[in-house]
Amino acid sequence: MSDTPEIIISVRNLKVGYGDSVILQNINFEVECGEVFVILGGSGSGKSTLLKNLIGLYQPLEGEIWIEGTNLVTAAGDERRSLLRKFGVAYQSGALFGSMTVLENVRLPLDELTALPEPLKELTALAKLKLVGLGAAVQKMPAELSGGMQKRAAIARAMALDPRILFLDEPSAGLDPVTSADLDLLITELAHHFGITFVIVTHELASINKIADRVIMLDNRARTIVAEGQPAQLRDSSDPWVHRFFNREPDAVASGLHL
Amino acid sequence: MIAAAQNELDSDLQFGPPGSARVTLRGHLNARTAAACWNDLDERLRGAKIQKLEVDADGLEFCDGGGLALLRYLSMGLMTPEATVSVHGLSTGLEQLFQGFTLDDYKALRPSSSVKCHPLPEEVGNGVRQAASDLREQVEFLGSVARNLLPTIMDRKRMRWVEVRRVFEAAGANAVPIVSLVSILVGLIIAFESTQTLAKFGAQIYVVNMIGIIMVRELGPLLAAVLLAGRSGSAFAAELGTMKVNEELDALQTFGLDPIRFLVVQRIVAALLLTPLLAIYATFLGVTGGVLVAFSLGFKWSLIFHQLTASLRLTDIAFGVTKGVAFGAIVSAVGCLRGLQTQEGPSAVGVSTTRAVVTSIVLIVIADAVFSILFFALKL
Repeated sequence: MSDTPEIIISVRNLKVGYGDSVILQNINFEVECGEVFVILGGSGSGKSTLLKNLIGLYQPLEGEIWIEGTNLVTAAGDERRSLLRKFGVAYQSGALFGSMTVLENVRLPLDELTALPEPLKELTALAKLKLVGLGAAVQKMPAELSGGMQKRAAIARAMALDPRILFLDEPSAGLDPVTSADLDLLITELAHHFGITFVIVTHELASINKIADRVIMLDNRARTIVAEGQPAQLRDSSDPWVHRFFNREPDAVASGLHL
Repeated sequence: MIAAAQNELDSDLQFGPPGSARVTLRGHLNARTAAACWNDLDERLRGAKIQKLEVDADGLEFCDGGGLALLRYLSMGLMTPEATVSVHGLSTGLEQLFQGFTLDDYKALRPSSSVKCHPLPEEVGNGVRQAASDLREQVEFLGSVARNLLPTIMDRKRMRWVEVRRVFEAAGANAVPIVSLVSILVGLIIAFESTQTLAKFGAQIYVVNMIGIIMVRELGPLLAAVLLAGRSGSAFAAELGTMKVNEELDALQTFGLDPIRFLVVQRIVAALLLTPLLAIYATFLGVTGGVLVAFSLGFKWSLIFHQLTASLRLTDIAFGVTKGVAFGAIVSAVGCLRGLQTQEGPSAVGVSTTRAVVTSIVLIVIADAVFSILFFALKL
């Protein structure tokens, strides 16, 4: 590893929203290769919208998203396709295809996008499933899995093509603390052993402290990044909103709650 | 970490002393190069008599999941079943990953490819049991509806006439354009086709009698019911099915509200009120289509009207309306039942909708046949 870390994602002056309504603006940040980068924010702060812009599902209103030297916003055709091939995305609800078994779900990208022979596709898919601890569930249908297993299957599917960057949308939402901790462990192992860069959207404080190398925090009133740094730095932040968030203090004035 | 300059793989297969071979891999082993390498090795190595295979991965700069799969496939001896295989030269990180998935894992996790095939008696037995339990559910449902229908209608607070009105509008008023088009066209087509035959006997005027009887006694109610099944029976199944999937029906039950009283009765009442009107309307337009054909053949309005009134009795109209009501009950009840029977899973609502339409149409035709026999026996 060299001293100056390689930058894998560089976002400049990004402005995202739908039509006339601007949700976030003046978004600037950089993600280093192999780090676990967390996008944090309260409900409705535009975390998921930002993520969908980063993975190319939505087109930003303004700004640039550079992925290893290519601008995703202006890339088209083959250039865009090869850029998207570097991404793996695990959606909030798992988004597994309900009519296929778990193994078929993980095999799908291999079947559709590689020329590997059959036995190697199967081997690859099985190895990914074992990696996320779903060895016993390869034959099951997504509906038969628990929430945590579905998320892990989604991560296995996202990793099928060995992406450079894995985007996870609320990986631990709706999971019990133990399952959630298992998932955190999986993420840190994948990041440190395989050098996969993670971009994670979440608001789970417990897992941020464990997994995050760096955090940016979004605020829905300022509509931009209000804090950036390591989790420990943010915990001691002087910004009142960041402080409240990290110390779980209620925002009674804003919510109009007078008891 | 990753040399981006050259993304190619340099692979080499050498046969050494008799019974041994050596594969040397250098460069990038990824999903693309692994596929090409596989083709080469598969051609030259499979079937060759080898007792010892060495894989030298010392020169590998990059290896992804697809590449690892190739190394594993070789090391598990799947390409050379009789040989002992050794893979060496992997970097520590890769070695660790490589060891993470062994032949035992592969054997344990690999799905058995045999498709389960049940013997015929078992299939037949399952089919019969399925049909019996389906019939039982239908009878239970009918009983429950029958028991709840009157008490719910009498109870002004529970009845939710607003819902009845909404369904009435969606399933009735909004269906008028399509019922009009289909009925008038069917009337036109039948009249037009039959005049060709009737002309041979010089009996073209009887096309009016014929279309009158056919439309009033049979096709008017049937068309109305089939269109109702396609438009509204399916909608009932989809609405209730979605509610079931979203746990809305469970929520109702935890309030102590019976879905049958709360949702089903309203739809059935709306359909019962609706179908006689829809059947009469479809009949009227179907007859109009026939009359237009007769008029275009040169018959006078007065003659056409005389033929119509002479051929139709009041009992025929009562017969048609009665059938319409019965069909309406069938369509709405089947639609609601299929909705309530919705299972789990993403395609469940679609399955329920299809089943609602198919069952409705089959039952409508069966009921039509039963009515015909019944009225014949009663000499109506």
